[in-house]
Amino acid sequence: MPRIAVLPNTVVDQIAAGEVIERPASIVKELLENALDAGARSVEIDVTDGGRSRIRVADDGTGMPRDDAILALARHATSKIRRTDDLVGVGTFGFRGEALAAIASISAIEIETAAQDGAGTLLRAENGEVRDVGECSRRRGTTVTVTRVFSNTPSRLTFLRSPRSEWRATADALTSIALARRDVRLTATHDGRQTFALAPVSSLRGRVAALWGGAYADGLVAVDDVTGSIHVSGLVERPGDAGTAARRIFLSVNGRTVRDHGIVRAAEAAYRSTLPAGVRPSLLLELTVPGDLVDVNVHPMKAEVRFRDRWMLERAVEAAIRRALGTHESAPALGSRAWSFGGTQNGGVGTVVDTEVLRRADGGFGPLLDTPPGSAAPDSARLPDDAPIPPLVQLRDTYLMFERDDGIVLIDQHSAHERVLFERFLGTLERGEAPSQRLLFPLTLHLGPAEADAFEEHQDLFTALGFEVEGFGGHTLIIRAVPMPHPRFDAERCIRETLDALAGSRFASAAPRHERLAATVACKAAIKAGDALSAAEMRALFSALGATALPAHDVHGRATIVHVPWDEVDRRFGRR
Amino acid sequence: MRFTITREKLQEGLSAVTASIPAKTTLPVLANLLVETTERGIRLSGTDLDIAVSTEVIADVDSQGAITIPAKKLAEIARELPSAPVRVSATGEQRVTLECGKTRFRLLGLPKDEFPSFPSVRFSESWRVRSGDLQKLISHTAFAASTEESRPILNGVLWEMRPGHMRMVATNGHRLAKIELPLESVGAPSADLIVPPKALEQIRRLFAAEEDLEIARGDNHLGFRSPFTAVFTRLIEGPYPNYEQVIPRDNERVAVADRNALFQALKRMSIIASDQTHRIRLAFNAGMVKFSVQTPDLGEAQDELSVSYEGDPLEIGFNASYLLEILRYMPTDEVRMTFKAPERAATVEPMGWSDPAKYLCLVMPLRLVD
Ligand SMILES: Nc1ncnc2c1ncn2[C@@H]1O[C@H](COP(=O)(O)OP(=O)(O)O)[C@@H](O)[C@H]1O
Ligand SMILES: [Mg+2]
Repeated sequence: MPRIAVLPNTVVDQIAAGEVIERPASIVKELLENALDAGARSVEIDVTDGGRSRIRVADDGTGMPRDDAILALARHATSKIRRTDDLVGVGTFGFRGEALAAIASISAIEIETAAQDGAGTLLRAENGEVRDVGECSRRRGTTVTVTRVFSNTPSRLTFLRSPRSEWRATADALTSIALARRDVRLTATHDGRQTFALAPVSSLRGRVAALWGGAYADGLVAVDDVTGSIHVSGLVERPGDAGTAARRIFLSVNGRTVRDHGIVRAAEAAYRSTLPAGVRPSLLLELTVPGDLVDVNVHPMKAEVRFRDRWMLERAVEAAIRRALGTHESAPALGSRAWSFGGTQNGGVGTVVDTEVLRRADGGFGPLLDTPPGSAAPDSARLPDDAPIPPLVQLRDTYLMFERDDGIVLIDQHSAHERVLFERFLGTLERGEAPSQRLLFPLTLHLGPAEADAFEEHQDLFTALGFEVEGFGGHTLIIRAVPMPHPRFDAERCIRETLDALAGSRFASAAPRHERLAATVACKAAIKAGDALSAAEMRALFSALGATALPAHDVHGRATIVHVPWDEVDRRFGRR
Repeated sequence: MRFTITREKLQEGLSAVTASIPAKTTLPVLANLLVETTERGIRLSGTDLDIAVSTEVIADVDSQGAITIPAKKLAEIARELPSAPVRVSATGEQRVTLECGKTRFRLLGLPKDEFPSFPSVRFSESWRVRSGDLQKLISHTAFAASTEESRPILNGVLWEMRPGHMRMVATNGHRLAKIELPLESVGAPSADLIVPPKALEQIRRLFAAEEDLEIARGDNHLGFRSPFTAVFTRLIEGPYPNYEQVIPRDNERVAVADRNALFQALKRMSIIASDQTHRIRLAFNAGMVKFSVQTPDLGEAQDELSVSYEGDPLEIGFNASYLLEILRYMPTDEVRMTFKAPERAATVEPMGWSDPAKYLCLVMPLRLVD
């Protein structure tokens, strides 16, 4: 490690300065970050009385020579940067040289440190002043003990909460760092009770399992995607699980834990149309971006960063999650999952099932229910569709089932068709291309006042979707032309039920108006559970679903695909 | 019950009725055929409750009776029997024995009381129609009926009986087929009947063209019969939409085209047409129609065909599959098409059909976006 030096004023002036020690949790965070910056492989944390009485952080990092240890307590003394230029792409947690000085100024601090096994330095300071420098014997590493926190600033003391809630804040800080630095062994006790005992693991999923249990970890969907120079990875909640447990948000950029609303919003946008209003998913995301794209020097506690191209980054995040949610893995599985945590260093290759399985070999958009009413198939002039679609079975006129190497897959026909139509309608609304069949006998609809209002409010969108509707005074509509999303489409019923649903929904959803309408119309236009499908219709639905962006979920966030692993089947038959 | 029948006669009877046996049914007796002895032989009947077919074949009856026999098994047996007289006898309500040479089958039937009774239709008051005329009407219209459940009335074919003519009309609301045939007299008073196409299909298949059929109605059924065979069908409750009103009278743009060339061009275009809407664009100009199709994510295609065309230039979009289908049923080498405007109904008619029948198809356009 380079030696510590006091930063020149020119650099100090460039640093986003601020008071960093607000509460015991900040002390623990700073000390732990220092330990990690010093290359520690193992850190032990002991906190007493919520941190008010004592905080001790012991590491096996580089340690400090005696002179450095003394200098470390000075303001703006750091070994991590020298010049302003070093701030660009700085890789350490610390870089301002302020933390130890700030901690020392409000407490009694004791540093035991050794740069090699054997002879070390013991240093005591109180209220910022070095009291005692001596020798000690210890292994390589550093132990910092902080006592009498805020004892000289009674006003701060009065702001502290109960030891329990101070500890909770500390535990949150530890959790964030533990997720980011899972290569390090972390143990922590509070009032002598062990609360963290985290062995080094190779994957985020492994850390999550150690923190919140294997079942929770197994339920998350892996994200792993590269857009240009941006790598987005992590774990996110399945739409079907969102809202069922505490929401957890973790975001790191180049290993640094940060808060960023924009990225969280972009991530949530990827769930668009798979979640009911108001439900938000847990997100554990790690971004790796070139150092010159981030500026970490903007926030006193380094909790926020600035991006040079935020738009590109947010798009990358959204795309990555969307892709992840499009996999079978994000459909709820029955029983145990195929992989076990810890064994998936490579992001679970081989078990994360891509929807390519659903896609037709030619990548084409399979039409749903392709044959128009009454038309003879041989004359529709189509090439025979010899793409590899597995044999499909319809169950209870509701589900399509097929077999794969790793288990049985069930598709909910209504949800699946709804997803297909939703994306198609959305495309129609966004491209403004709306095929519309004129009717020989216009349909007349008599509406209630609420439905009539709903129609008026959405008339432009209905038109864009291909409905040609005339208001006929009062609450009567005349429909002269209709879209033909599939041959079984019942335009009258669809428009009636859509208006019903629009009139009946009292809370305005956050989704844009056109998305909401597309979703509602898709739901009403889709084939229903109970509709018997021909083999050709099943195949068409299968390939159309495979061609959607989010095949695993319907527009309400319910699963369209359920995967029953062979393991589960075998277990039920007692074969395992 | 005991009778002897030739294998050929048995097969003849079976081939007429087995098509009316439902493939899947929750009522077990519907999987069976009703076999009854008559003065001339035996009568075989089958039904799926919507349509019932019954036919009489010659047989030597020793003793009278009736029983139901599993239809599929009986048909399979008849197919495999040697060409020799078949002796059939029933003991009690349920046991049937078939003997043919040294071959012997015993089948378990069901009592005849379980078989649904046929609708009562008063043939005393009936129309008389030549089967061949009926076939012509059916084959030019039934294809156009709707197969969707949303408007049940359009699932039927409208059959109008009038003093001087009869007419059939079918539509799915997007396109329509209408055919009219002058008649001397049909016997009974005028009527509007809405008949399921499935029943019409049976009628077209079962009766020879030169046969005269008696047709009569019951409460909501229609019966057809020839000396040996009878078909009964459920009728669909009216009223049928007012199709006269939508037939354009003032389409002043007229094109005459070679049916086959038009058909081939449309077929080529529909390779690229969208799978959902099959939309293609037709641009009519003096002496020429240009076809074009653009489908996002797929591609585009163009073609042209010389036609005789009168009227201002016109661009209009259609579902290609509707046009193809209509052309398939056009009975002449040349067809006449008329148009008014891109959003109005177009008509297609045969040109120079040497038939007393008048045939007209309508098709509604698809909206074009540009
Ligand atoms: N646990 C530790 N092990 C080794 N060196 C440490 C440790 N803690 C602090 N230091 C040294 O003390 C310096 C000052 O620490 P600090 O005040 O937190 O500032 P910063 O981390 O921003 O550099 C660090 O730059 C580092 O060289
Ligand atoms: Mg530090």
